[in-house]
Amino acid sequence: MPLINLPIFADALLADFESLGALRVDTPVIQPAEPFLAMAGEDLRRRIFMTESETGESLCLRPEFTIPVCLRHIEAVTGTPKRYAYLGEVFRQRREGGNEFYQAGIEDLGDTDIASADARIVGDAMRVVANRLPGRALSVTLGDQAVFEAVVGACGLPAGWQKRLIHAFGDQKHLQKLLTELAHPRTVGVFGPEVVRLSMDGLLEDEARLIAHIAETMESTGYSTNASRSPQDIARRLKEKMELANTQLDRKTLDQVGAFLALDVPLADAPAALFAFAQKSGLKLDEALIRFDARVAALSKAGADIGAIRYRAAFGRPLDYYTGLVFEVEVAGIQAVLAGGGRFDRLLTLLGAREHIPAVGFSLWLDRIEKAITSQGGVQ
Amino acid sequence: MTITIALPSKGRMKDDASAIFERAGMKIVAVGNDRSYRGRVEGSDDVEIAFLSASEISRELGNGSIDFGVTGEDLVREGLANADARVEFCARLGFGHADVVVAVPEIWYDVDTMADLGDVAADFRARHGRRLAIATKYWRLTQNHFSGSHGIQLYRIVESLGATEGAPASGSADIIVDITSTGSTLKANHLKILTDGVILRSEACLVRARKSAHAGDPVVARVIAAVRGVL
Repeated sequence: MPLINLPIFADALLADFESLGALRVDTPVIQPAEPFLAMAGEDLRRRIFMTESETGESLCLRPEFTIPVCLRHIEAVTGTPKRYAYLGEVFRQRREGGNEFYQAGIEDLGDTDIASADARIVGDAMRVVANRLPGRALSVTLGDQAVFEAVVGACGLPAGWQKRLIHAFGDQKHLQKLLTELAHPRTVGVFGPEVVRLSMDGLLEDEARLIAHIAETMESTGYSTNASRSPQDIARRLKEKMELANTQLDRKTLDQVGAFLALDVPLADAPAALFAFAQKSGLKLDEALIRFDARVAALSKAGADIGAIRYRAAFGRPLDYYTGLVFEVEVAGIQAVLAGGGRFDRLLTLLGAREHIPAVGFSLWLDRIEKAITSQGGVQ
Repeated sequence: MTITIALPSKGRMKDDASAIFERAGMKIVAVGNDRSYRGRVEGSDDVEIAFLSASEISRELGNGSIDFGVTGEDLVREGLANADARVEFCARLGFGHADVVVAVPEIWYDVDTMADLGDVAADFRARHGRRLAIATKYWRLTQNHFSGSHGIQLYRIVESLGATEGAPASGSADIIVDITSTGSTLKANHLKILTDGVILRSEACLVRARKSAHAGDPVVARVIAAVRGVL
């Protein structure tokens, strides 16, 4: 790739990263594909460029930087906290734009002061975008999965339902479908005829007998009891499912969850709006709200332009390693996300880190920023 | 314009397709001997017949090198992204019935719906250190059904080109997505279909490649009308 392909502001951006205390790292362009598929799911397969090594290992062209940077950190065993910056090409099949483009960003690993680390990363993302587009009004959308988890938890739903809803957070269509199901539970086709038989035989009340029965049946039908789900797994979730099936969300709670998801306010007003919601609904959200307020306070203290940030309660990413903060930065007049980021406290453990490492970061779409710069004259 | 119709090159699909065209007044005769891969319609010079394998037919429809094809809807939807934009399903022919279904071990007493499967998939990595494995040859249909319709992302596809039903018992996958017509093979392998696990009810279809040259072409209209007329 000729160097001329680099965005013209690459040097200035790297200087910004350095001044923000981030250490620049590079990662190989050719990466093992498995970690990306394992974290993002099977859908990614269609959008990445895959190949195979001579020995049959699946490889791909780096589709993003967060996972390689985290893997590099785990391998290097250099301890935390660490602030990494990257700038380089990534390869993905996109509906719009080319399939190879530059991304840059910061990953902040191991800072245990969550509120200040969140505030710092949002502030940094806003600063580096603003530096590329001086004089342009930024608009930032911020969401927080932890608040949604608290709302769902306070509604008193069984653990299985909480898991389902949290898993769907950020996927509006799927979440809506689940809520409808909760309000109008299906009664047909939920349990197979075998379960009715088990119930008549009294096996559902006796877990030990149920497990023994499942193990016996598996053996007699040629299924291994340890290759896939074990008899214990099946018995335990059958119990959980009976709990799920007996749960119906009443109208009032459903409306409350709906009202929460509809919240869309300037961030400065969000603490008060959330407090008012908690009061009105009677849901106990204290801890999540304290953490939310601390982040807003930390953002003010860090001197971020809070007026440019909106809080949207339904905003999230349906990937199971995102745990709290998510945000996106746009500029007025351009219909594209220029920077996206969030907190992914679960990712490093999933990638094999021995200890829990809190992590937060953001990534910049450099081709979109370039476009925004060149379109500057044309925007009213 | 001369148009090309591709028919399955062997087996019951070939016989059933030929029978429908004969009833529609388009008797198909092989060019040369009866194992030839080319044919024509008795009495019409403007229609050519190509005998291809069922999966080739879906591919050739996709790249527009044939005008019509008779093949299973499952193969078309699996083989082509945005199938409805690229081809038109003109007629369902009433043979070659096969459902593409999600099937899990019967012993999974707690799993009867896609929502159950979603729960199991979400927990799978934490419990087993790997993602839920699905044996199938239907990559696209599986992905659309799991992630598109049911928000399930955490699984992996294990490609299976034959005897897919055996995969859960042999331990090479946890569940399967496969075609079934009577369900007896699934039953013999102690698998059950989820109540909302029918991805597609497929049958043989007369499929047209969407080409601009087809607009107003009397031969194209005649073929569609003739086949529809005998169903």
